[in-house]
Amino acid sequence: MRTAVQRYRIMAYITGVLIIIVVFAGIPLQIWGHNTVIVNGVGTVHGFLYLVYIVFAYLLARKLGMRPQPTVLLLLAGTVPIMTFAVERWMTRRYIDPALSESPRVADTVSS
Amino acid sequence: MEPQSPAAGLQGSAAPVPAPLAERTGPTWRFLITPRWLGWHLLMVVSFWGMLWLGDWQFHRAMSGNALSWAYTFEWPLFAGFVVVFWARTIRDEFRLRRDGVVDQPEDEPELPSAIGMAAGDRAAALIAQAEEDDPELSAYNAYLTRLNTEVKGHGKWHGLR
Repeated sequence: MRTAVQRYRIMAYITGVLIIIVVFAGIPLQIWGHNTVIVNGVGTVHGFLYLVYIVFAYLLARKLGMRPQPTVLLLLAGTVPIMTFAVERWMTRRYIDPALSESPRVADTVSS
Repeated sequence: MEPQSPAAGLQGSAAPVPAPLAERTGPTWRFLITPRWLGWHLLMVVSFWGMLWLGDWQFHRAMSGNALSWAYTFEWPLFAGFVVVFWARTIRDEFRLRRDGVVDQPEDEPELPSAIGMAAGDRAAALIAQAEEDDPELSAYNAYLTRLNTEVKGHGKWHGLR
């Protein structure tokens, strides 16, 4: 459980930082500077790390027994700047902390 | 204004929610044809084909000389595959939950220490109140309802005076 949370958190922070770089530095530079270095480089890296994020986030969501709707929200959070961090906090407050403070029995109701 | 119905908002934002009573009757697979799940199936199909289409588009861009598009040419089909895998796994887990009765057993719900020792009804009310307090979206919605209520009350009063 803790490992799943750690993996999710690490990927959330990485994709969260990368998407902010792409959107707030890369895209303005592309539009006004006609320089696509950041969009191409960081954008592609974000694309592939987002794949990893999606896998870890989904596995965590199943472990926590989250309903489909919040799960989809969680997965999409990796593509919206700042949302990634907001959703990570919401996840911690709403799902992760309660699950960690309970007996492991509840957390394991949905085995991966 | 919120486009969602209050019920949808409630279900969507809550932690493991017990299935509504209507869904507990009949065979297990019935939940798959509820409007909510039909929506999920539709979303799955649309995003699967949409992602394949995006992959195809990137492939054509790659063929016409955009080297970077090769990365996305392979990425989009992967996403499309994820959609199907996640959809299938979610349904499988949902079946498991419903069959094992985990969703239906109230004793599997997390119980708050402050709610222990109360009568069942009071305890349920306390749990609901606690859950509502914990959920900013729900408390915002409740505040909105309260505001509407007072507004409507005021409205009635003015009518009465006239």
